[in-house]
Amino acid sequence: MSSTRSERTLRDRVERRILAVFGLITVGLLVGMFYYPVGTVFIEAIVVEGTATVSVFLDILRDPFYFGEFARLFAGEWPGWDLVRPGRNMGLVEFTAYQAVLSTLASLALGLPLAYLLARFEFRGRKTLRSLTILPFVLPSIMVAVGFVATFGSNGTVNEVLGLFGLGGIDTTGTLGIIIVAHAFYNAPLVARIVAASWETVDASAVETARSLGAGPFRAFRDVVAPQLYPAVLMSAALTFVFTFGTFPIVLALGDLSLATIEVWVNRLVGRLNYAEAAGLAIVELAISLSILYAYLRYEAKQSSQARGVRPLPRKSLRPTSRSPGELLPRTGLVAYSLIALVVFVAPILSMIYASLTGPTGFTLDHFQFLIERQTGGADFQVQPWPAIRNSLVFGFAALLVALPMGVTVAVLTTRKYRGRKLVDAVTMAPLAVSGIIVGLGLLRGLVFGVEIAGYRIFVGGAIAIIAAHAVAGYPFVVRTVAPGLEQLDRQLLESARSLGASRARALMDIELPLVWPGVIAGAAFAFAISIGEFSATIILAEGANQYTMPIAIERFIGRRLGPATAMGVVLLVVTSVSFVVIERLGGGYRGL
Amino acid sequence: MNRRKFISAVGTGTMIAVAGCSVENSDDGGEQSTSDGDDTNTTDNGTTETGGEELPEDEGNELVVATYAPFIDAPSTSPGAWLKEEFESRFDAEITYQTPSGELNHYIEQQNAGQEIEADVYVGLTTDGLVRADNNATEQLFVRDLDVAGLETVKDGLDFDPEGRAIPFDTGYISLVYDSTRMEAPETFDGLLEEEYRGDLIAQDPASSETGRAFLLHTIHEYGEDGYLEYWENLQDNDVRVLGSWSDAYASWSEGEAPMVVSYSTDQVFADMEGQDLAKHQIRFLNDQGYANPEGVGIFANTDTPNLAREFIEFLLEPDVQGEIAQRNVSFPATDNAELPADYAELAQEPPEPVTFSYDELQGSVDGWVEDWERQFAGN
Repeated sequence: MSSTRSERTLRDRVERRILAVFGLITVGLLVGMFYYPVGTVFIEAIVVEGTATVSVFLDILRDPFYFGEFARLFAGEWPGWDLVRPGRNMGLVEFTAYQAVLSTLASLALGLPLAYLLARFEFRGRKTLRSLTILPFVLPSIMVAVGFVATFGSNGTVNEVLGLFGLGGIDTTGTLGIIIVAHAFYNAPLVARIVAASWETVDASAVETARSLGAGPFRAFRDVVAPQLYPAVLMSAALTFVFTFGTFPIVLALGDLSLATIEVWVNRLVGRLNYAEAAGLAIVELAISLSILYAYLRYEAKQSSQARGVRPLPRKSLRPTSRSPGELLPRTGLVAYSLIALVVFVAPILSMIYASLTGPTGFTLDHFQFLIERQTGGADFQVQPWPAIRNSLVFGFAALLVALPMGVTVAVLTTRKYRGRKLVDAVTMAPLAVSGIIVGLGLLRGLVFGVEIAGYRIFVGGAIAIIAAHAVAGYPFVVRTVAPGLEQLDRQLLESARSLGASRARALMDIELPLVWPGVIAGAAFAFAISIGEFSATIILAEGANQYTMPIAIERFIGRRLGPATAMGVVLLVVTSVSFVVIERLGGGYRGL
Repeated sequence: MNRRKFISAVGTGTMIAVAGCSVENSDDGGEQSTSDGDDTNTTDNGTTETGGEELPEDEGNELVVATYAPFIDAPSTSPGAWLKEEFESRFDAEITYQTPSGELNHYIEQQNAGQEIEADVYVGLTTDGLVRADNNATEQLFVRDLDVAGLETVKDGLDFDPEGRAIPFDTGYISLVYDSTRMEAPETFDGLLEEEYRGDLIAQDPASSETGRAFLLHTIHEYGEDGYLEYWENLQDNDVRVLGSWSDAYASWSEGEAPMVVSYSTDQVFADMEGQDLAKHQIRFLNDQGYANPEGVGIFANTDTPNLAREFIEFLLEPDVQGEIAQRNVSFPATDNAELPADYAELAQEPPEPVTFSYDELQGSVDGWVEDWERQFAGN
């Protein structure tokens, strides 16, 4: 049939076009599964009763409930000192930003030491620990609420321990404090993963040069290592801000309605079918989130290229080699950190597991028994554990396989030099920043209810649509973990490969991606995690109980007692833990990491 | 006719599973939706349907029942499976359940999008839901002036729809549930404001839970639309916590975060089922009143099985079925001749004085009431 020669030319042609093809597929998926559906909702804020208007936005901007003292400013009045006076009326938007800033700081405080531990030390179980760091990311809010109330509640573990030492109890539930800690629980792992991935590609030779020139370890870190980490730190901070700015169920599960955020309000406006105001508010939310991301991207683009990953820094043993302060101090710090991490991360997860194994009369396997009964005796219109596990895994891995090439393609296209590329980059990040409630509503209106094209109504739903929606939601992580590395790669490497005849795709696969591989793996793990944790798009696109996933099963199993839901939650914990380890082992094995 | 073809193309085709989308010539769809008025009964020219004899023939014997998810799929007990089995054994029919996450809003949205609604009946209509549908749906969503056998057995005061679209099939009462081993709950709304109950109450967000909404409406019923905001200001000063869903609140209460929670007056039925200490599950009807939350069933205006839908509603009102629904949904029957075990009332408590707002009282007011309240409560 085909000779080797024609095979080769075919391969060459495919390789030459492949980036363009992936680019087109990516644009198609983004438009079909994201921009168009979201557009069907956003238009409500812009076109009211057939006429384009800005009145919806003006009303929102001038509403003191939303904008506090700034509303007066937008109304043309000068509030003066009232804009910064302590105890002022913050308004919903400012309060949402305020709690997001605090949450971001808390996530950095808890995430950076973990990144340090993962990137710089060698110890038993390091790879597994690294794989499991993203676990909090997939947990439904109800599970986190269970874990947090059991840990930090008035009868929780922390208060019991404080009681043992004769210390007064702390009242945490219903406060802003516990919500910030919960946000850190979700996002500190994100910080840790992204920063660790960057740290692992810092080139050792630059540090060695600095040390040989007489710089102490601290100086070498400050002047050589830290500047290479700033982009990753700032990016994880920007992402954390965006996520906590759009926070929703956890606020009302652990806090109080008086701590309501923008997304809480978008949800109630949608529930009331007040789409114009809901869309207007969601656009305000998006504008703020995207400007943060855009500011970060501008910064990222200004970073000069640095040698990466040619020879990573050697990991140190956790056991100090001498009694010098330089050896002891970091390790003492890590011990203190791990005590805090035990309380913030481990205790809530253990509490979830404990809740799944206890009932009113003590230890019980009833809740797991319930899962088995549902599986064997449940009606076919009821959600069942095994199909939920299977669907989650199928959707998760399929979404990962779609999101990876999408993300790498966008990363390549946005790290080329052209005007406005960072704007393109910011726009392609929109799936991270748009209100999840609006995306769900858009998918319903735009796809499930059908779109009319040339006299035909096209309906989109089912498994493929769910995978596409998950891939679109998760691919920005791949972009964000791959692009910084590509940006900083030495351009000469690429140019010499190209001059030797390698196609762009071949150079990418053989030269660039291997150099930024930790970022690729981290992005893949996040894309998978996003799919596993996704709820609102899945339930809207699913065509029946046989397409439901684990988070939907958990939601359905929430009853008067949380036992069955927490049992399903533990299943989710176990299944995703194993998956994370597998993904990273497969991915890491490929590069011998 | 067209509708079934439409559903099989959209709902179950393997094409969707493979391709993720399906295509239908929308000329058919367009004609269907404009011709709805012919075979249903709610055209604006006043041809309202009242008797079964005027109904057109059913197409097929599949009854698509739309409802909220816990009605068919709750971890403890739900009536869905039993109802399906029993109805199918008594009638030549097949029930298919639909539980979209948007619940009633899904169908309002679907109608407004000009897409045909596949469901024939909706189980779980509330006064609020009807008001929302009427304020937002472009066309009448449900068949009006239903007259079904058994309607005369529905208890006075539960019949919440003046236009006869929703037939009540059960009701719940919202009360406080409290742990009497820790405290004794106050007897009145005013009592909740006393210092000794500071931080003792957990309620729910009216936007995301039926109980929270009923509790807010109850305070409006008690203090009037001019007084409820001040009452809530005082309640907030006394550290009431408003969580999101009923399960958020109930979980927090179960963990001992506060001794009182807004919940259902059937709480002891569950507690008893699970062998819990009933002293920790005491019911308090503030001011001796309980806010009634009747649930109704209605027939979608464009149903293609109007006779079967009517038979289903009549079936729901049968005395034995009423008893089963009440027990399996852990609620109270809507009719006065329901067959319930004699000891049901021991654990499922009814308030001395049920109160509720009528459709006419809520229509035009409820959104404003709730909005004023939430802006006050969340204003920071």
